Amino acid sequence: MSTNEHAAPVLELTDLSVSFSTRQGLIRAVDGLSLSVGRGEVHGIVGESGSGKSVAMYSLLGLTRDANASITGSVRFEGREILGSGDKAMQPIRGGEIGMIFQDPMTALTPVYTVGWQIVEQIRQHTDLTKAQAKARAIELLGEVGIPDAKRRVDSYPHEFSGGMRQRVVIAMAMSCNPKLLIADEPTTALDVTTQAQILDLMSRLRDVHNSSIVIITHDMGVIAEMADRVTVMYAGRPIEAGPELDVVRHPRHPYTWGLLGAVPRIGERSERLATIAGNVMSPLDVPVGCAFAPRCAYVMDECAARPPWSDGDHRSACWLSDTQRVALRRKES
Amino acid sequence: MLLFIVRRLISAFLVMFSISVVVFLIFFATPGVNPAARIAGRSASPEVLAHVAAEFGLNRPLPIRYGLMMWHLLFQQDLTSYVNIGVKVIPQITGAAPITLSLIVGAAVLWLLAGVAGGLVAAANRGKWIDPLIMFGGIAAVSIPAYWLGEVVNLVTQNKFHSLFSWLPAPGYVSITQSPWQWALHLIFPWITLATLYAGVYARVLRAELVNALNEDYVRTARAKGLSERRILVKHALRCSLVAIVSLFGLDFGSLVGGAALLTEVVFGLNGIGMLTYNSLLNLDLPVIMGCVMYGAFFIVLASAVVDVLYAFLDPRVRSVH
Amino acid sequence: MSDEVLLRATDVVKSFPIRGGKLGTKKVATAVNGVSLDIFKGETLGIVGESGCGKSTLARCLVQLMPVTSGTVSFKGEVLTGRSRRQLRDTRRDMQLVFQDPYASLNPRRTVGDIVADPMRINKMGTDAVINARVADLFKTVGLDPSYVQRYPHEFSGGQRQRVGIARALSLNPSLVVADEPVSALDVSVQAQVLNLMSDLQDEFGLTYLFIAHDLGVVRHVSDRVGVMYLGQLVELADADALYDEPLHPYTNALLSAVPQLNDGTEVPRERIVLSGDVPDPADRPSGCPFNPRCPSATDQCRTEVPVLLEIRPKRFVACHHPLTF
Ligand SMILES: Nc1ncnc2c1ncn2[C@@H]1O[C@H](COP(=O)(O)OP(=O)(O)OP(=O)(O)O)[C@@H](O)[C@H]1O
Ligand SMILES: Nc1ncnc2c1ncn2[C@@H]1O[C@H](COP(=O)(O)OP(=O)(O)OP(=O)(O)O)[C@@H](O)[C@H]1O
Ligand SMILES: [Mg+2]
Ligand SMILES: [Mg+2]
Repeated sequence: MSTNEHAAPVLELTDLSVSFSTRQGLIRAVDGLSLSVGRGEVHGIVGESGSGKSVAMYSLLGLTRDANASITGSVRFEGREILGSGDKAMQPIRGGEIGMIFQDPMTALTPVYTVGWQIVEQIRQHTDLTKAQAKARAIELLGEVGIPDAKRRVDSYPHEFSGGMRQRVVIAMAMSCNPKLLIADEPTTALDVTTQAQILDLMSRLRDVHNSSIVIITHDMGVIAEMADRVTVMYAGRPIEAGPELDVVRHPRHPYTWGLLGAVPRIGERSERLATIAGNVMSPLDVPVGCAFAPRCAYVMDECAARPPWSDGDHRSACWLSDTQRVALRRKES
Repeated sequence: MLLFIVRRLISAFLVMFSISVVVFLIFFATPGVNPAARIAGRSASPEVLAHVAAEFGLNRPLPIRYGLMMWHLLFQQDLTSYVNIGVKVIPQITGAAPITLSLIVGAAVLWLLAGVAGGLVAAANRGKWIDPLIMFGGIAAVSIPAYWLGEVVNLVTQNKFHSLFSWLPAPGYVSITQSPWQWALHLIFPWITLATLYAGVYARVLRAELVNALNEDYVRTARAKGLSERRILVKHALRCSLVAIVSLFGLDFGSLVGGAALLTEVVFGLNGIGMLTYNSLLNLDLPVIMGCVMYGAFFIVLASAVVDVLYAFLDPRVRSVH
Repeated sequence: MSDEVLLRATDVVKSFPIRGGKLGTKKVATAVNGVSLDIFKGETLGIVGESGCGKSTLARCLVQLMPVTSGTVSFKGEVLTGRSRRQLRDTRRDMQLVFQDPYASLNPRRTVGDIVADPMRINKMGTDAVINARVADLFKTVGLDPSYVQRYPHEFSGGQRQRVGIARALSLNPSLVVADEPVSALDVSVQAQVLNLMSDLQDEFGLTYLFIAHDLGVVRHVSDRVGVMYLGQLVELADADALYDEPLHPYTNALLSAVPQLNDGTEVPRERIVLSGDVPDPADRPSGCPFNPRCPSATDQCRTEVPVLLEIRPKRFVACHHPLTF
């Protein structure tokens, strides 16, 4: 782990908020997200489906195009404020300095061009390579992400690839220019464990060789364990816990994190029912003013009607429970 | 791909064949009607009727009659009109076709250029003033009746401001082989008139397609690659929206060439297929009607075959299905 | 789970023509290469395997969304392969697919409420009010707020889109649900909810599932039996517990060892078997056992002779010349 706290962070989000005004009302998809990613650091983001992880990442690159979206806060990349700078200014950053892997591999590629064409397009946008050189590089990249017979498959169309293969094309594309920051939104959901191991390896290599930083969004706590130096847990658009990976996984502080970790199906055991977090997934239209998790939390108290503060320190959380209460509750549970 | 094209052409040929059979049956085998009288037109003499019956083998079995008909129509090309005694059908059609084709091709180039440009500009400027302006212009253009627009153009150019338009020849048609310059000069306002009507539709359809495409995930990927907005719009969004435009164009082009440009032809005094069909309908000139229908069907079928081939060319997913 | 066979696949092969190296030469990629399996009524059959090994293609062939190249598929005793679309219509309703690509399979121009309601409307499942109530119910069961019905797919997160797809598949009360990575886009707590929901529905309606997933923990949890695919072939098929506790095929063993582990100190660290050798290519299949180029214990026999799927112990099928035993 190469967490370097003294160097300036590569990426620093401060109080990033994104909301959409829809017919039914205002949706606060991201609500005050702050995090910082140091050079060569891998930052994991986990959280409920719909908690604003993807929207936050799109917004920081200026990819949220919805006319009803309003984005506030600050995004600093290598010390420069990039939030709200126009498409022109963002062009060299997008794809060149910040690579992004998208969550939904099936639709992320333009259906009418071969995968090779699409990778070449990205490489040529940011480098002076000739077409032939870029194509050679594309073939090399496809080989690295484990596409068999890359030399021939480079001329295949996206629909001729399986889901996992398309995901790997997107990964190859995002890594093609050795970005300083790689944002990987559920990069391995469509991959089997052996291919996943290969991709995680490739990402680690990008970090080791180019000292790149990585933000990885995933639902797989195993991937977090393998890759992340630090973790942020999100719920309803808000960060609710953040800290070094080992601390968060071994000593989770927020009741949502407890539930999340408890719901992971373990390969070694088989139970009748999986543990879930009680209650329904919260509607983003009526997030409570206080703690967003309160309606589903087994340990609600009166204080929860107010929004809990974001605690200080290395391992932070937003919960009204005191440390002593927490320890007692956890002991009682196990 | 080649195989696909060949297969598509064969099927187009089969469609043509079936259309000819259906047309033939409608015209010549409707029960209770004497086909000879129909061909010969109103108030024909008994000798003429007998001649018609012999020429088309009207007392012979149906398949032979069909064969004879097609033989006269396509190979011998000596099918004659009995209403305008002695005028052959095929030369009429081949005389009218270049006029209509000149009109439609020229107009199509204009409306495609204007429609695509309008759609692109509107989609690129969503939410700004120029977008609704173009869309309003589009709907206005669509709603103008062709006849009225043509008359207004004529009024302006030939009458009211004739001094300004003194370079413009009187309405009519000059073949391109005679003088390309005169050809274009004669057709310029018919082109503009017809193109105005269609450009509006194309701009609106394309804008809708583009706006949808711009919401797709692959556009987000393209943007994350650091491509310029223009490249995203043209190379990704437009390229994927072309399929809709192409199929629309195939339909419009086929039916216009087949005679649907009648009003424009009438207003500008162009003796094209539309006029020919119209006149033969007025006179109940059956052989000519049939010739025109076959000709129209030919272009519609051809256009749809070309559209399918273009489809496969534009969209690899279609290609792999075949 | 009973002994009644709901769906039987015999020697199913699916190959795609591909553009060959030289002009004119025809090449094919064999995505599914002779798969035979039975799915019993009321069971959950899990399918795992490497990305690109043909799981989705197999699923599509089984529910007749794609014609097979050869082989037969029969459902409730009736042969489906070779039938026309019309003849298949009733059967289709009985077999629903939850897609791997939730977004691509949701019409972007219809609201999600309509997307879920459409199959019911087409099949005239009742008045508008009845259908709308059921849509609201389905939304609740998959953990979506019913007030979302008016929204369009692009306004949803990946996980939410997937839940819409599940709701749609369940709307017609099918007897077989083929779920192609239904939960991979979901967070673990919602995933747990959906898995529990699927098992509740199974108990209630006697549903049968074919369940494709990459998360081996999930597969173990939901499946009665598990099939392992490699390069278009079924290499191992057994009861879930038996397969996880004692894998017989070397590929299964490597797969299980590659599962990332949680760092919370509750699991015994496993030794990971790293597969060397080239990634398999369906257009250029090795001779003999498909796994032999990467298999740690491959012999000459493996390089020449194709192993067949044999029942080497009761209810344990494996296609390997040298199955592992512990
Ligand atoms: N264009 C939009 N209009 C309205 N609401 C939106 C829009 N895009 C996203 N949302 C809402 O914002 C919230 C956050 O979505 P986001 O995609 O970031 O979730 P996520 O954390 O990435 O979830 P998942 O793990 O399922 O991918 C969701 O409730 C979603 O419905
Ligand atoms: N239309 C097609 N044309 C050519 N090859 C195809 C086509 N569809 C699939 N393939 C190939 O068939 C193989 C199997 O694909 P399939 O989608 O079944 O894989 P999968 O097991 O579902 O993988 P994943 O886990 O990544 O979704 C792949 O090698 C793929 O490239
Ligand atoms: Mg997401
Ligand atoms: Mg698949």
